[in-house]
Amino acid sequence: MASAVEHVSAGVGSLGGIAAVTDQESRARYAIDGVLPRAVVYPSSAEETASVLASAAERGLAVVPCRNATQLDIGAPPGRYDAALSLKNMASVWYYEPADLVITVEAGMKFGDFQHFVGRDGLWLPLDPPGGAGASIGGVLATNAAGPMRILHGTPRDMTLGMKIATVEGKVIKAGGRVVKNVAGYDLGKSLVGSWGTLGVIVEATLKLFPRPARRETYTLIGRTLDRVREFRRNILASPIAPLRMAYLSDETSAAPRTSASQPEGFEIWIEAGGSERVMARISSEIEAIAKSMGSALAPVESERATAVWERISDFRNALARAHPDAVVLKASLPVAQMEAFLGRALSITGGAGTRTASVSYLGGETVYLGLVPRNSEWPAEATVAQLRAAAEEFGGAMIVERAPAELKRRVSAWGETKDDFAVMQRLKKVWDPKGILSPGRFIGGL
Amino acid sequence: MRASAHIRELIAIAGTDGVLWNPEELMLYEYDALSAARPPDAVVFPRTTAQVAGIVKLARRKKIPLVPRGAGTGLSGGAVVTEGGIVLSLVRMKQIIEVDPENQRARVQPGVVNLDLSAAVAKHGLYYVPDPSSQRACTLGGNVAENSGGPHTLAYGVTTNHVLGLEVVLASGEVIHTGAKFWGRPGYDLTGLMVGSEGMLGIVTEITVRLARKPEAVKTLLAIYDQARDATRTVAALTARGITAAALEMMDGFTLRAVEEATHAGYPMDSAAVLLIEVEGLREAAEEQAEQVQAVCMENHARAVRLAGNNDERELLWKGRKNAFGALGRISPNFYVQDGVIPRTRLPEMLDSMERIGRKHGIAIGNIFHAGDGNLHPLLMYDARKPAERESVAKAAAEIMAECVALGGSITGEHGVGIEKSELMPLIFSEDDLEMQKKMLQVFGAGEALNPGKVFPSGKMCGELRVQMGGAG
Ligand SMILES: Cc1cc2nc3c(=O)[nH]c(=O)nc-3n(C[C@H](O)[C@H](O)[C@H](O)COP(=O)(O)OP(=O)(O)OC[C@H]3O[C@@H](n4cnc5c(N)ncnc54)[C@H](O)[C@@H]3O)c2cc1C
Repeated sequence: MASAVEHVSAGVGSLGGIAAVTDQESRARYAIDGVLPRAVVYPSSAEETASVLASAAERGLAVVPCRNATQLDIGAPPGRYDAALSLKNMASVWYYEPADLVITVEAGMKFGDFQHFVGRDGLWLPLDPPGGAGASIGGVLATNAAGPMRILHGTPRDMTLGMKIATVEGKVIKAGGRVVKNVAGYDLGKSLVGSWGTLGVIVEATLKLFPRPARRETYTLIGRTLDRVREFRRNILASPIAPLRMAYLSDETSAAPRTSASQPEGFEIWIEAGGSERVMARISSEIEAIAKSMGSALAPVESERATAVWERISDFRNALARAHPDAVVLKASLPVAQMEAFLGRALSITGGAGTRTASVSYLGGETVYLGLVPRNSEWPAEATVAQLRAAAEEFGGAMIVERAPAELKRRVSAWGETKDDFAVMQRLKKVWDPKGILSPGRFIGGL
Repeated sequence: MRASAHIRELIAIAGTDGVLWNPEELMLYEYDALSAARPPDAVVFPRTTAQVAGIVKLARRKKIPLVPRGAGTGLSGGAVVTEGGIVLSLVRMKQIIEVDPENQRARVQPGVVNLDLSAAVAKHGLYYVPDPSSQRACTLGGNVAENSGGPHTLAYGVTTNHVLGLEVVLASGEVIHTGAKFWGRPGYDLTGLMVGSEGMLGIVTEITVRLARKPEAVKTLLAIYDQARDATRTVAALTARGITAAALEMMDGFTLRAVEEATHAGYPMDSAAVLLIEVEGLREAAEEQAEQVQAVCMENHARAVRLAGNNDERELLWKGRKNAFGALGRISPNFYVQDGVIPRTRLPEMLDSMERIGRKHGIAIGNIFHAGDGNLHPLLMYDARKPAERESVAKAAAEIMAECVALGGSITGEHGVGIEKSELMPLIFSEDDLEMQKKMLQVFGAGEALNPGKVFPSGKMCGELRVQMGGAG
């Protein structure tokens, strides 16, 4: 009998009857922290995906579900990585009832194509996830990815009505349904949203759609100090207007999503609102009054430029890395009221560590991204990350190391410490993926 | 009667005034709002998480099932005892622990009554969105267990969209904290799994919720119809046109006449159906939307559309809606509230099916819908003293459920499965689906210790489609 090791080293061959692709280019596309999968498989249905998983489980091969690699690098560097399971060939729309605001699509559909498809009926998913148009629906769900627009209707978690999941047992499980309200049985879909490819493969999703606002306007202003930004946040959140999204940026690097030609001191605040002409008139006068009370001038932004800026704001992680491949991208999630205080502390920590730092914060959206670009290789990377994480926790939040040079990623924890609910999470992993073949070791606590 | 050893141990944990064990007192706990089952062996009222943990450990040691219970307003038999056991009542854990207005969060104990939370945060211009019609009585713990909805969850989501974190006592007696005060703590969404798990995965002892800011303007409209079908068409048209109402409720003529007689809310006695529609937001947006709503109603043959002129008129209209179940109790000795969901576009045909099913079984059916999200509450009238009527009602209810599923819907939108609909689960889930759901009992280490006999089909029904109306009706 051939040992498992020999079996594996003999090559992946085919999985569940689907030929594995092994050329360098295909594999490199799904590289994570410099580790290439030994093969890539492209199933074209839910059932095929399930058989790929069953066969991988039987052979003990580590599989990472993926599509377009916009967030694939997030998580601990892979220990074992036998096959990338790409949902590239699964991008159909199975059910669409625009009058009911419900759609069912395959998980490999790209987010941009999705928005375009439903946009023809004046609908959208009110989300601006990292990865933007290139992200896949499955990826957006698996990472619960949401940009600053999350202040409007929440994250993908809140828009998912149902899904189909391919399991390592070779089954296709259904969770939820196709109606907007449904409490039959346990809400299994919740456990898959934000599970980062470690429990099962989301092969199909049913989502709740929303009507797109008739008009949208973006404005920008400067908050000279974090105190001013805080004041702006409090005023906006206490006002009756409900913006589509808001963010503020600071930048000491050149190619972060900084936008104006001039480089004013302080924080650029961006705000977008939507509605009818009459509603927009009211909103702009409200925002203007708030800006004025802070001694800032409000500038409207024409739509093409606004679109580009928002794209870079929500895809900060990739935009920064394109300009600075050695950048460290950190994402802190914390209560809204503590965001400015955390950012102030973070900027002083990174200042002390001697990195150039860019930041994007979702105003009201509980998220602060930090992009650290080292001036030289002699910076105290580990200690800085530890200090920043401690600060996020001190302010009641948590911090993820989203991106870092592979060698640094191996030395720091991507997700931080686990808490008293970890044993339950471990058992959840165990029932979905008893052999531990799905993205093994990549999620928090080595899940 | 002498207290047994079990009772003495319970008293040692919760105090003499924290345990009920006299048969007369236990009888009150035979019921929830669905029906009666059987009295529990004891009822215990802990005041702290540590006491809950103590009770859970005791029950585990003695292998006695525990049934968590809030206000007992549940409509699917979730809080009743099926095969003996102790009722763990959370009603004395009713502290609002923390209100954090700037972060729009509150942390509460599970026994806090839904409406009391909104009242407590009103001074900050905030409120808690999910508003079950039972909100004057039901507890937030019960809401979490059932993933409850309400008229105003149409625009802003049901309980699960407003709960960020939980303290849970597991069946082992261990205490865990899921989620956080902010969205996005890394790790599996155990909070999302707990919400809607009907008291079977753990005892919720603390809840962190999000609070919403009150809108600047609210407009409440009453659209009156001579044909019920036109009302359902209006709902579909509003959805299709992207007019997002904050609430969109429907009552048919049968129901609204009963309601009007009981509450004098101003519903026209001679109409076939009314829609109660609320739009809110910025003043300008609410005004525009109210005009659009009005236009769509008129296009769909509303006889008239009335706008509530002030807050008193608004509250009166809502009082009628929220007391509808009570009002029906005045006209029929018994009635059975059903809860199904269908895609909103299918409302007109569903209304026809409902009529057909009622006629077939010779029973009167009143209809009250959270129409905006396709959530139906048909009310089936009967007299519990007549076994044949009970039987007809049970059959009609099962047929209504089958019809919801056939139209692409679900067997419950907010009242839960409980003991009522466990046998219907195979209508929408395969064996594999249910198997994976059952594994969650393993994940939380609950086994059969908490609320046994709920949600999952017993497998004893041999294909007969049946709802379980409970023992006494
Ligand atoms: C007149 C009327 C109107 C209603 N309207 C609505 C409505 O509009 N929308 C809606 O969704 N529902 C409605 N309901 C149903 C009911 O009010 C809700 O299901 C409510 O959430 C139940 O809360 P409760 O405190 O009464 O819970 P109970 O009925 O006591 O218990 C319900 C379930 O929760 C479990 N449970 C309770 N507390 C805990 C805890 N702390 N930890 C773990 N499990 C727990 C119980 O075991 C049980 O399974 C209505 C009911 C009535 C009678």
